[in-house]
Amino acid sequence: MERREALKKIAYLMGGAISATTMGVLFESFTVYNPEQRTTYSFLSTDEEILAEFSEIILPATAKSPGAKAAGVGTFIPLVIRDCYPPNLQEIFKKGFDEMLAKCKTKFNKEFLSLSTEEKNVLMGELKQETIDNNKEPSFFLIARDLTLLGYFSSEIGCTIAREYLPIPGKYDGNADYLPGQKAWAT
Amino acid sequence: MNINTDLKKQNTYDAIVIGSGISGGWAAKELTQKGLKVLMLERGKNIEHIKDYDSAMKAPWEIPYCGELTQEQKRTHPVQTRDYPYQQANESWWVNDLECPYTEDKRFDWYRGFHVGGKSLMWGRQSYRFSDLNFEENIKDGHGNDWPIRYKDIAPWYDYVEKFAGISGQNEGWPLLPDGQFLPPMDMNCVEKSVKERIEKHYNKSRILTIGRTANLTVPHLGRGSCQYRNLCSRGCPFGAYFSTQSSTLPAAMATKKLTVRPYSIVNHIIYDKDTKKAKGVMVIDSETNETMEFYAKIVFVNGSTLGSTFVLLNSTSEAHPNGLGNGSGQLGHNLMDHHFRCGAEGTVQGFEDKYAYGRRANGIYIPRYQNFKDDKRDYLRGFGYQGAASRGHWHKEVAELDFGGDFKEILSRPADSWTMGLGGFGEMLPYYENKVYIDHSKKDKWGQPVLAIDCEYKENEAKMREDMMYDAAEMLEAAGAKNVKAYDNGCYPGMTIHEMGTARMGNNPKESVLNKWNQMHEVSNVFVTDGSCMPSSACQNPSLTYMALTARACDYAVKELKKKNI
Repeated sequence: MERREALKKIAYLMGGAISATTMGVLFESFTVYNPEQRTTYSFLSTDEEILAEFSEIILPATAKSPGAKAAGVGTFIPLVIRDCYPPNLQEIFKKGFDEMLAKCKTKFNKEFLSLSTEEKNVLMGELKQETIDNNKEPSFFLIARDLTLLGYFSSEIGCTIAREYLPIPGKYDGNADYLPGQKAWAT
Repeated sequence: MNINTDLKKQNTYDAIVIGSGISGGWAAKELTQKGLKVLMLERGKNIEHIKDYDSAMKAPWEIPYCGELTQEQKRTHPVQTRDYPYQQANESWWVNDLECPYTEDKRFDWYRGFHVGGKSLMWGRQSYRFSDLNFEENIKDGHGNDWPIRYKDIAPWYDYVEKFAGISGQNEGWPLLPDGQFLPPMDMNCVEKSVKERIEKHYNKSRILTIGRTANLTVPHLGRGSCQYRNLCSRGCPFGAYFSTQSSTLPAAMATKKLTVRPYSIVNHIIYDKDTKKAKGVMVIDSETNETMEFYAKIVFVNGSTLGSTFVLLNSTSEAHPNGLGNGSGQLGHNLMDHHFRCGAEGTVQGFEDKYAYGRRANGIYIPRYQNFKDDKRDYLRGFGYQGAASRGHWHKEVAELDFGGDFKEILSRPADSWTMGLGGFGEMLPYYENKVYIDHSKKDKWGQPVLAIDCEYKENEAKMREDMMYDAAEMLEAAGAKNVKAYDNGCYPGMTIHEMGTARMGNNPKESVLNKWNQMHEVSNVFVTDGSCMPSSACQNPSLTYMALTARACDYAVKELKKKNI
């Protein structure tokens, strides 16, 4: 029989595609805190700008709703990496982030922020493939994507425009009709 | 001298209640309503109903880190952060593990809420009666001691507490799950109804599936508002729609004007008077100032949560009670139990793609125990029930691995293609003498008190039961037509269900138990213990309703005895 992580339930609630690593870090934490390992990880404001554009490729603005950039994911990702992630994953994130920036120069001869949307999509496709080829071991792409999903679908834009937010339903109807194209409930 | 006499008088009450949680709040209400002047001592801070529910109305984007836990929180709460109950939204309602350490001889996840209301603010609210079989099983199979009561003794008290607390549910006439005094039941959704029908048909009604019996109001009740289906109960409810000390028992007690609540009051021990052979009162450490002080009363109710209460009793030593107050039997600290869960099955239910739930029901379905009953014989003792639910989340099978982009975002903005149905088992744990707690004098907490050591593990009966909890669930879901059914066991350690009970058990024989059939100490007639510590067995039903009933019953007896001058 299959051993299934209980936290997949939270994955269902939060938007589906969150990796086991991130679930482990963020929601189940029988990880022993080791004070000696604590690093202080600080982000530059340009890093936030890059991460905002990066997340915008993962969840871009569409006709129906704004994208991750507008939802503030660019500042959300650094905040969570800094305060919620253990040092070993922070390292992996930072290393992968720097490698991605280097890759832009070698592949496109440009800085990340100067890439066209098409070029960024190509880049993203390669990062995705690398992660798949590496058995979905923790990587910068995996972590950044997970946090984009989390950040976006918890944001006001994600909850109230992409999805439908009902602060006080007032009743429960377990037999309501689902209309074609109807948005998902945010929570 | 005048000052001392005045202070003593000031500190003297008719009754002291140690703890303000689910059972402590009831003791305060019952005793004050019967005319006693009561002092309720709570070791933690005050939390005022509605006013202090800081996160109750917060949107997802207003919760720090969108709900993720920080490394700092894990540092200060290494135990509380082991599982789901500790959340960013209610993080200040869980104990700081570093200030209040304990010793784990074997892993025991001890979840504690140190504040007025205790865990009644964060509890799961499922409320089920114990049945006659539960009260008889100890004597039947020889594990644990005989309960000194039977269902008929507690039935009127279940009626009484259900009517006040407001429990919504559906009567089913199931022998192992007695009916109750219910408010209208919450609705099952279309998938649950279908699964119910198919399971009951397949097993020829030898198993039933019913809506959860929950301490959430489906109609306004005694001045409290009805559930608004936000499913954020553990943040505190601004509508007062679920039972807690704050929403229910405390206002009733305060209305009598006979209740004093003193927070920041850690009870270190009960003061025993060797001349009267009764408790005189309690010694308290003020958790903010570290001052010590004494309070006196004619009766003491111990409701500090199972292990909190037993700690106080073990720590209350004297010449007459060298091993803890009322511990002539040697049973104090022993027979610790907790349910076990985190195993079951889940599957996809097709055919309801044109349906979607409106509202977030703070309740699930329940399959009451059917094992080791009538013709259903198992290779282990006792049994389990299931909690479960069907939902339509955001899992989309057509999404490619690690996808991204505009189309991907659109897909995730809609609900999943199909519904999933899950069943999670809750299993009974046998009472084992060797599962115990004792005081560890080698460690100190923030206030210089020794700490509790816990030595407890699940054993063979529990392990065998878990296999069935998985396979039965999978079999039932398949019988109901679910696809891709997967069984799981995520592993469980004692403490995780937060239903820890035992260690100061009731019994008829003073040589084998700490309390008599009235929750009264055999050896100290004015001390009553009515929280989880009093339980001789655990059944598989969520226990809090039983604590409420035992508390109300014991208060009734205690006050009658007090009036007759028997105690």
